[in-house]
Amino acid sequence: MSGKAKEKPTVQSRIVPVVLFILAAALIAASIGGYALQNAGDIQKTLDTMRTNTVLHTASEGLVNSIAQQARADKLAELRKDKNFRKRGLDEVNAICDGAMEEARAAAEALYANPVVKDQAALESAIEAFEAALAEASILSAQEKGVFSDLYVQLVDNISNWTEIAGEGKQDSEILASLAAVASGVNDKANSHLQSSFVRLARDMAAKQQAKEDGELQNQLITLMVGAVADWTEYSGLDQAALWDKLLADVPALADNVRFKDAMLTAAQGYVAAAEKGEAINPPAEADKGADTVSETQADYSYFVPTEALTKEENEKNDAYEALKAQLIAIIPDLGGLSAKLQTTLRESLEKVLWLGDTDFSTRYNAYTAHQSGTESEGAWKLNLASMAKPLLLAGVAVLLLGLVLFFWKPLTTRFGVPRTIIALFFVYLCLLAELYNISVKLMLGNVLERMTMYGVLVLAMMPGIQCGIGLNMGMTIGCISGLLGIVLALQFNMVGFAALLFSCVCGAVISLPLGWGYSKLLNRMKGNEMTISTYVGFSFVSLMCIGWMMLPFDNPKIIWLLSGKGLRVTHSLLGSFAHLLDKLLAFSVFGVKVPTGGLLFLALCCLLIWLFSRSRLGIAMTAAGSNPRFAEASGINVNKMRTVGTVLSTVIAAVGIVIYSQAFGYAQLYTAPRQLGFIAASAILIGGATVSKAKVSHVLIGVFLFEGVLVFGQQIANSVVAGGGLSEVMRIMISNGIILYALTQTGGGRRD
Amino acid sequence: MTEQNKIRSHFEKYVVTYLFIALSVLFIVVSGLDMNYVASQLLLRLNRNAFIVLALIIPIIAGMGINFAITIGAMAAQIGLLLTINWGISGVPGILLAAAITLPLGAFFGFLIGKLLNKMKGQETIGSLILGYFANGAYQLLFLFIFGSIIPLNSNVTIVGASGVQNTLNLTGSVGLYTAIDSIAHVPFLLALYIFCGVFAAAAIFQFVRKKITVKRMIASLVLAAALAGIFSIPAIASVVNGSHGRELKLPLVTWLLILALCLFNSTIMRTRLGQKFRAVGQSQTVANASGINVDRTRVIAIMISTVLAGWGQIVFMQSEGIGTFQTYAAHEQVGLYAGAAILVGGASIDRATNLQALVGTFLFHSLFITAQSAASAMFGNSAVGEYFRAFLSYGVIAVALIMYAWRSAKQKKAGQMNLAEQRAVKS
Repeated sequence: MSGKAKEKPTVQSRIVPVVLFILAAALIAASIGGYALQNAGDIQKTLDTMRTNTVLHTASEGLVNSIAQQARADKLAELRKDKNFRKRGLDEVNAICDGAMEEARAAAEALYANPVVKDQAALESAIEAFEAALAEASILSAQEKGVFSDLYVQLVDNISNWTEIAGEGKQDSEILASLAAVASGVNDKANSHLQSSFVRLARDMAAKQQAKEDGELQNQLITLMVGAVADWTEYSGLDQAALWDKLLADVPALADNVRFKDAMLTAAQGYVAAAEKGEAINPPAEADKGADTVSETQADYSYFVPTEALTKEENEKNDAYEALKAQLIAIIPDLGGLSAKLQTTLRESLEKVLWLGDTDFSTRYNAYTAHQSGTESEGAWKLNLASMAKPLLLAGVAVLLLGLVLFFWKPLTTRFGVPRTIIALFFVYLCLLAELYNISVKLMLGNVLERMTMYGVLVLAMMPGIQCGIGLNMGMTIGCISGLLGIVLALQFNMVGFAALLFSCVCGAVISLPLGWGYSKLLNRMKGNEMTISTYVGFSFVSLMCIGWMMLPFDNPKIIWLLSGKGLRVTHSLLGSFAHLLDKLLAFSVFGVKVPTGGLLFLALCCLLIWLFSRSRLGIAMTAAGSNPRFAEASGINVNKMRTVGTVLSTVIAAVGIVIYSQAFGYAQLYTAPRQLGFIAASAILIGGATVSKAKVSHVLIGVFLFEGVLVFGQQIANSVVAGGGLSEVMRIMISNGIILYALTQTGGGRRD
Repeated sequence: MTEQNKIRSHFEKYVVTYLFIALSVLFIVVSGLDMNYVASQLLLRLNRNAFIVLALIIPIIAGMGINFAITIGAMAAQIGLLLTINWGISGVPGILLAAAITLPLGAFFGFLIGKLLNKMKGQETIGSLILGYFANGAYQLLFLFIFGSIIPLNSNVTIVGASGVQNTLNLTGSVGLYTAIDSIAHVPFLLALYIFCGVFAAAAIFQFVRKKITVKRMIASLVLAAALAGIFSIPAIASVVNGSHGRELKLPLVTWLLILALCLFNSTIMRTRLGQKFRAVGQSQTVANASGINVDRTRVIAIMISTVLAGWGQIVFMQSEGIGTFQTYAAHEQVGLYAGAAILVGGASIDRATNLQALVGTFLFHSLFITAQSAASAMFGNSAVGEYFRAFLSYGVIAVALIMYAWRSAKQKKAGQMNLAEQRAVKS
């Protein structure tokens, strides 16, 4: 086949890869040039000069702004003394004040715009020292760290409350996943992400709930959300009013919520109070977010005690700043006369500029250019090239890979299949993009491993089904529900630790045996239609069990609805029971990648068992019955019996799989939550290279790695590229269903009649 | 076939329908709901849903199973509605515009669906279901990221401060699409019923005179019409619908004319050459192919018609009384499920369906839908059970119908196994 392809390599089929290779070579060469330039002495020197200019510019700008604001406040106070003050309209007062402010600003700019540096060397070393101290101390101060971790716990609590109330089992896995990403973001210098993703979460939750008819639930949900947002903005000192405006625009139902109105009122009163003091008379939405308008809200840090190391870092940072401030005051003496509050603001702005110190060249370059006065220096192209080195390199690698894949298209696709090739390429591209957006690839890889342990066994459950000839076993949800029943029983009896885990697995497997047997009998009568039937049997069973979860006589108050006193809750936290038990077993970090050893070992064990089984007499007979029933029948294999073996095996593995899934997730979810699990498992194994009639253990492992990898990386990157989220969910839907559709097209084509 | 066998086979075919009739009666009694309320809700839901359910018939006859990809037709209609709202066109012109946009969009999507389903023959039901899920992803991509940024929209439909379309769009008030079709004309239900019975009887006599039907058939039709009119003349039943206590039931005339027109379309098209092709392809692709019919093309046409009709059905649904808002990201999600369940309840199966089955199915399915919640709270003291019971009904009906069909065809296959074995041998 491949030899045939080599025989006639037409010019057309080779021209595109070759063009891509040339392009890649050019890009990589440019990037190497860029990297070389980055280390060149004169470029480094230019960058240092830019940094010094930036610091000076920030300082003088801060001073000018504060003088202008002061002038405005003075003018307002002066107008207030006037008897006619009340007669003037707000617009007129504003106009007069603004005029005074602009005048003062122009005067101040003329004074401070071009500060005269006396001792360049001393200034530069002070800046460097402060930058180093900042780089050493993490971006969040000791206090803030405590508040953030506390806030995070609160958020998780709130979210699990919401989802429980909302009864939407499907969504909260997504929410918790993104919250986990958010939590890692907080430690990663990216607290603005925390804010935006939280707002998005709150909005989505409320919007989803809005669609439901039950007004009471919605009200509770919004109340919780409003509370959380209020707390959050209080801690972070963000512009609360603007946030409320946005929320109100997105979720109109908020307007009727009592607690929301209260919060709005409080925010409004805060602004009125600030306006009274002459700080900002503008309406809240247009409030100047510059360095000078300081929010009045103060967080209560009293419960947080910083560690010694954090305090030391903090002190070093303070000393370095004092040295820098002394240098700056020597250049612009008036800086010393700023009020305490403005001093803090100035320090914050300087920190913001300088904490970039330990980041890469281009980030620093871009940040500094924003503060330069726009004079074109002669080496500008060099600087530009140097700052573009990383994107150029990544683009070069991307083009090179594309060229290679196209060049070897025939052999690659015959070896791996079209979808696996494309998705693997897509995954590598996502890794490159993650690098481009400075997303920690190590952290993401840790997440991928964690999710592999979560989904691995579930995906493995697809394998016996495919081998025995029933195709994609969408009805594996029957097994999942048995497993969930096992977990709930363990919770009912207050079991903890490995005992609970073992009990859940065994109990789930035992329950799934008769169910799987009956289900296989049904499928044996429906040959040729298994996938359609199993999908709807699975759906029906999930809905039937929704009633079951309501009616079964569980009575442990920890797991039933407290209000009505009967029916199981939707989400059960396993934190007190066996959450993360396997994942934490022997867990270690390598190169910053967290490895959930226990979970991976268990997955490996399951894979090994299944592999051994498929090598056994029974396994071989089963695979034969699945791949060619007529031949198997002729050689004396009871096809129906083999199909039963495969189906029951698949169901039992699914029961164990959901227990492992729940321990990795930390929560067990009932009701409609398991409905789509069959689809997830099916798409994962198909991505791994299985077809609806053939599957191997390697397909399971490759599939679950690629599928989860694409999802984890995709989610992070989508969040950085497009604010507002949702893109990763769209990607998941399209990849997951697209691959199943592709697999279906490979089977059909004239099968009927 | 003996008489007993006939009855047995009839019962086997319609077991789901009879089960639903029994359950409906039970639920109505248990729920203790006011009959007038149940009747008015039923009528409302028939107005809303009948059109979409009827859109499923042609693909079933063409042997493509239940076309769950009608959700894609609904998406086409929602694109049309969104643009209509965006341009601020209200009332009947707005609806017409939305329908006009749906036509090419639905036809194009239907073309693609048909092409894809041709690649998975024998797996159309599951294929169309998953295709619907896939399209939902594409729909979100379009509505969240392309509308409002690449395709500019007015600020009244986009999310403030971001790209993408709002979660809910209002159809009432100045938008003016709410009940745009329904409110054109209303006729009291009883009057409509009498007129319908009269027309039905007249048509029977007319057909008899033209020697199209036997005298037996004519008398049966006349008796049926008279019985229908008679039942509703009984004061106890008439009071349920004529508003002597409670609300008077009124039929939105134009909506029902549209539904009747679709019924007529479905039955007329079956008498055309195209309809014969649908039937031939549905019965046996091999035979159809041998007799010179382009099987794949016929199937694509069937799906195209179904998709466009489903889109129009979604417009009828969205404008109908009691909806009022356009749930941008959820309105289409359950369309396929509910319509598929409804037609199966009516006694249709994977390879055969009629207008009457669609209408009866919609009636029965929604009568359970309305009463499930109250019946569940009456029986179990818990209304959430009713909510879950509804979902179970929808999925369960489809599962049972699929199983029954597969079981029956397996039985038939066994009967003609020799024949089949020969065919297989030829193929391999």
